[in-house]
Amino acid sequence: MKYPLRISLCGFGGQGIVLSAVILGTAAVTKGNKYVVQTQSYGSEARGGQCQSELIIDEKPINSPIAEKKNVLIALFQDAYEKYIPALEEDGILVIDPDLVTNIVRPVETTFELPATQIAVDIGNRMTANMVVLGFLSECLGIINKDDLLEVVKDNVADRFKEINTKAVEAGIEYAKEHNMYHRS
Amino acid sequence: MPKKKASKERVLSGVHFMLGNYATVEGAISAGCNYFAGYPITPANEISERMSQRLPQVGGKFVQGEDELCSVFSLAGAALAGGKVMTATASAGYNYMQEGLGYCYAIEAPMVIVDVQRTRGDNFASQADVYQMRYGASGDYEAIVVCPSSVQELYDYTIWAFNLAEEYRNPVIVMSETTIALMRERLDIPTADKIELYDRRYTKKTPDEYHPFEALANQCPEAAPIGEGYHTIYSLNPHDEYGNIDWDPIVFDNLYKRVTGKITENADKICRTESYMMDDADYAIVTYGSEFRPSIDAVETARKEGIKLGVLKLCNVWPVPENAICEVAGNVKKIFSVEMNLGKYVREIERASKNKCEVVSVTKNRGFVHTTDEIMTEIRKGVL
Repeated sequence: MKYPLRISLCGFGGQGIVLSAVILGTAAVTKGNKYVVQTQSYGSEARGGQCQSELIIDEKPINSPIAEKKNVLIALFQDAYEKYIPALEEDGILVIDPDLVTNIVRPVETTFELPATQIAVDIGNRMTANMVVLGFLSECLGIINKDDLLEVVKDNVADRFKEINTKAVEAGIEYAKEHNMYHRS
Repeated sequence: MPKKKASKERVLSGVHFMLGNYATVEGAISAGCNYFAGYPITPANEISERMSQRLPQVGGKFVQGEDELCSVFSLAGAALAGGKVMTATASAGYNYMQEGLGYCYAIEAPMVIVDVQRTRGDNFASQADVYQMRYGASGDYEAIVVCPSSVQELYDYTIWAFNLAEEYRNPVIVMSETTIALMRERLDIPTADKIELYDRRYTKKTPDEYHPFEALANQCPEAAPIGEGYHTIYSLNPHDEYGNIDWDPIVFDNLYKRVTGKITENADKICRTESYMMDDADYAIVTYGSEFRPSIDAVETARKEGIKLGVLKLCNVWPVPENAICEVAGNVKKIFSVEMNLGKYVREIERASKNKCEVVSVTKNRGFVHTTDEIMTEIRKGVL
């Protein structure tokens, strides 16, 4: 990967946006020996409302915690997509859930359509769409090693949800493989 | 001052990806904190939340106060009973603590208070409490305020704050704020044997020989164990070395000069600063807390543009690191004071600079730390 990676994950409250950012950051720091800064913004609603989490991942300590331009944007909801797309670099990578982001206002050359919510519904739990995304990012972008990711996921979810979340990560990986969706720089 | 190493059972040694508020708690637990009382307020709630889990694991006590005032007063009691104590709040909650905090300064109760500064009414970042932390309570006293700039420093400086509180028998404020408190970042927690702690200095005198507020001009008095016959009145009112309330002007004078003198006369020992690229600098940023982070990036940008910029980071703002600021002022053409408010601490920087160079105030109070570009815009204007 080319560092620093400046990632924005956005959607609506309840999709597990912040948890997926925390898992990604934890894996990068504790397994990948990287430096990571993670911040978030969300409304006061427990469900609904826009939610966004930012990650900066680098091989050296990170100074300014604000990255005005992102090189990866993952959008799981139309409103959030529209709010955060202006911050994506011209040559950035866009990952969208095509069922929830239906109106593309700014075409981006490197766009991956990942029906994360439908995949999560198909394996039995809509709430695991965030884990589908993490699996996809691991395979498609190579941000994090699959085994490391699975280990951190298990550490960060309740016992009774470990199996379904593991399944969701693997489904995300499989989707990238099946559709030959790769972008490794 | 008696020193010892941190207790192994309290230190989560290793590499973590941790929330700033949690790192503050881990710093406190590593430092030996065994009592916490606090009242909920964002963005400090994760401190209470984690304290309520961690303190029982290490034999400590967690109390949710009925309000901020109750919390800080209960710290006074717990501290005098021998506890290493902490509370956490955020700007508006820190307002409410001032009466109790004034009492704690007067009776010389060691404690750590975390103020996770925020904007009025919401959760956005700010450094607008920098004067409140110094002058919030009534009366003559000196504040010690440490200013972490990262999750790592929230851990490290909270330990430092506990050590300062014990060494000087004074409340010590950890100046946190939304930027770092609600940020997750890499945290390297060392092994317990690498963490040095200062223990309270207890008297060796008998209860008959012990004078509870007797101390040299620049020192704090020795503590005495509670419940072993060392009867002491801990009063906000003027008191003599025996702890007797006395309205004699000479008693006033002696007490307040000693309570302030133990900090002012040890300011050089207390103050810490760090210099970055200052050796050949023509211009300097003087800053504190999270504003240090974009300032470091500004140095890299400025140097690429041929501007010899350096940074003086203030690890604590109170007492003012006067000598370090004065030295920088004597070596550069201009100082840029960068802070996340509309220009407060710049007055201290101007004063400490003693007119040796011009001081430019770079301010922002829009809920977020400066970006590097915003700082560079002011630097470029300033070096024209």
